Amino acid sequence: MINKSGNARRGVYILVLAVMVLLPMSVTAYKLYVLDYPLAGLIPASSYKVEVSMQVDGHGEDIDIHTYLPKTDSRQSVDSEQNSSGVFTAELKSDQLNREALWKAENVRGTQSILYAYEVRARHVRYKIPADMTIPDSYPASLALYLVAEPGVQKDDPQIEAALRGIVPMEKPTILDAVTRIHRHLQDNLANRDFSGYTDALTALKLGEASCNGKSRLFVAFARKLNIPARLVGGLIMQQGSKRTSHQWVEVYINGHWVPFDTINDHFAEIPANFLTLYYGDLVLFKHTANVNFQYFFKITKQLVTQPDVQSALSQSVLNVTNFYAFFDRVGISQNLLKILLMLPLGALVTVVFRNVVGFETFGTFLPALIASAARDTGLMWGLVGFLAIILISAIVRRALDWLQLLHSPKMAIMLTTVVIVMMAITVGGVKIGLFELAHMTLFPIAILAITAERVALMEAEQGAMKVARITFMTLIVIAACYAVMESLFMQSLILAFPELLLVVIALNLWLGKWIGIRVLEFVRFRRLILDPQGMGSKA
Amino acid sequence: MKSLRTFFARWDDARERAATVLSMNRRNLHYIYTRNQREHFPLADDKMLAKEVLVAAGVRMPETYRAYSYFFELRHLEHDLDAYHDFVIKPAQGSGGNGIIVIVGRSGRDWLGISGKIYTLYDLQKHISDIIFGVFSFDLGDRAIIESRIVQHPEMQELSPLGLADVRIIMCDDRPVMSMTRIPTRQSDGKANLHQGALGVAIDIASGITTHGRFLGESVERHPDSGINVIGRTLPFWPEIVELAKRAARAVPLKYLGVDISISPDGPQLLEINVRPGLEIQNVNERGMLSILQAMTMKGSVDGE
Repeated sequence: MINKSGNARRGVYILVLAVMVLLPMSVTAYKLYVLDYPLAGLIPASSYKVEVSMQVDGHGEDIDIHTYLPKTDSRQSVDSEQNSSGVFTAELKSDQLNREALWKAENVRGTQSILYAYEVRARHVRYKIPADMTIPDSYPASLALYLVAEPGVQKDDPQIEAALRGIVPMEKPTILDAVTRIHRHLQDNLANRDFSGYTDALTALKLGEASCNGKSRLFVAFARKLNIPARLVGGLIMQQGSKRTSHQWVEVYINGHWVPFDTINDHFAEIPANFLTLYYGDLVLFKHTANVNFQYFFKITKQLVTQPDVQSALSQSVLNVTNFYAFFDRVGISQNLLKILLMLPLGALVTVVFRNVVGFETFGTFLPALIASAARDTGLMWGLVGFLAIILISAIVRRALDWLQLLHSPKMAIMLTTVVIVMMAITVGGVKIGLFELAHMTLFPIAILAITAERVALMEAEQGAMKVARITFMTLIVIAACYAVMESLFMQSLILAFPELLLVVIALNLWLGKWIGIRVLEFVRFRRLILDPQGMGSKA
Repeated sequence: MKSLRTFFARWDDARERAATVLSMNRRNLHYIYTRNQREHFPLADDKMLAKEVLVAAGVRMPETYRAYSYFFELRHLEHDLDAYHDFVIKPAQGSGGNGIIVIVGRSGRDWLGISGKIYTLYDLQKHISDIIFGVFSFDLGDRAIIESRIVQHPEMQELSPLGLADVRIIMCDDRPVMSMTRIPTRQSDGKANLHQGALGVAIDIASGITTHGRFLGESVERHPDSGINVIGRTLPFWPEIVELAKRAARAVPLKYLGVDISISPDGPQLLEINVRPGLEIQNVNERGMLSILQAMTMKGSVDGE
């Protein structure tokens, strides 16, 4: 009777296991081979968070501040824009080329600040210029403005003309020849100067040295003189840290494309992935009302992100992950929350491996995974510190309350209250000393706190402080492991692109659920039985 | 090369010996889950329920004086306890000897614990309400049991002067597999719990003679506090103890369990049965339990292997 039901159980087990492995594998294979999912989408992309901080001191006057904001184009994508401008009202305008932001306020008194933030992902692009292409004689009328002289681009000045003849002496140069000679001359023969002021083309030529804007203007002047359309580009080189310096480079119209050149950093017909284009033309990045002590800086944070949107350009099949996520989007569930949800099973799997294969004891099966996802906002270290703080507070408060001799439930309620108060205090303290990761401590889900606090108190009462300390230590290790897996961008990309792989997680758990091996810590526990021949009896 | 060969030879030996050890995963999957149906777990977890079934089957156990499930019942606690000179208070669903208070007599209006500690009426009421609240059972609520105190057999008292020793026998398919006696020490605070520092002494099932001692992870021959030799002694009433264990095992539908027995001057009494008996008994016996279990269940195996 037992054997029969045992056999049936075994059959069902193997069947379910097979389905849990084969089904997701075939869906994944279908996506890869039929829908042509790009595996490149699994590699995390670099993303930059750019925060523009501006500050003025008002004395009762009306103040305008004007700047350019980046546009999404085929090379760079800009999103998650946030404006926090206090007393200023913001106005955004967009034309063919540029996006402008204008902040206005009346009767401004005291120090006021504006923070505008956005996230950027950009690509590195390199152009290949056809070797035999000659300079066209005429262009469409829309390009006329890129061929004329401007106040800072004195293309018809005799000195510039003479210099150009020395650099490009041929009567009818190819475009490649012309831009190569101009680029090499400006890069190699004009010294780079780290000077933030305005330099026009002629001045740069006369001085024989220039910063980015002077070199760029000279480049544009040379190109336009040769009847090649060219324009200035203003932007930002995105590097981790804070900076005030913006950057300028050049784009030259070649064969229907605007091809970038940077003669400060020697980028010939190419633009790196950390160049952010802010505006086109000979413009000024910041304009503001005079005499308001205008200050600004850029704070740039580099971060790695998953790129689920790579899949969005793909097929309309029901198995397309983007369509599937659209359902969640429609009811307002954010991709972030979805990511946390999708990664929880992996955290639980990590915990299972630690418990059943290594032999660790943890506070609950889900707790390490939950704490790890709570630590997303605080970072791993502060997450662990927060967890330890909860344990410690629970233990101390329990002892104090034990001494007062209270009944169990009110005791637990007092403990939870204390934990909440301390968490709030940590948040306030974090904001005060500027540790914003710490400030997110309040986001530790309160349910988790409650469970942890009660479990710790019970366990300490039942099994002693040593045992609690040991389990706490093991739980910390498991939380860190969960965090490493759940926050791994590769794993996130993988699960976001192929959520059917969660069935494989079930399969692994099914397998682990039947695993009867000796746990690693049991080898330690029974080491004398296993390693010491003296300690063994004969086999019965 | 030679050392490598020695290493592999030792590795093989270790693998072979590791195969005799019952691991946690295998115990759960192959012994507890296959032999104990989930719906019968309460029988072992709830001491009141177990006692009903076992006593009905003729298993001798301490007499239950009182049981408390609600706070209002505690109003009459003093009056209730007046009827008894000595008694034990324990949680119906406790484990590891936690939450147990042993009272040996009165001290004026208060009660005298076995360790000499004085308990006021408030202390006892608080302890019982903690039990009812489930402090000792990892559960939402529990019952507190007041039962008769077992006085130890003189030979056991000599072996275990710091508290009540118990005999743990692992039973599989109603047959004894391995056994030991657990002796409270100063370290274990009077509790017969190995993880809290009680002394474990292995007992040969066939003869009832003690063979090895283990205390805090070390092999010992003597009681750490009294210094008395604990090896080579024959436990009193051994055949009766094994018989009691078998009778208890047959009385419940649980086919893999730990049976805890104490020895009073007039014979053994069953304390409780445990549906998830620990694995430390293997270290105490200095022998793996899996090989014994496999030999026992060789025929008509439901082991699944």
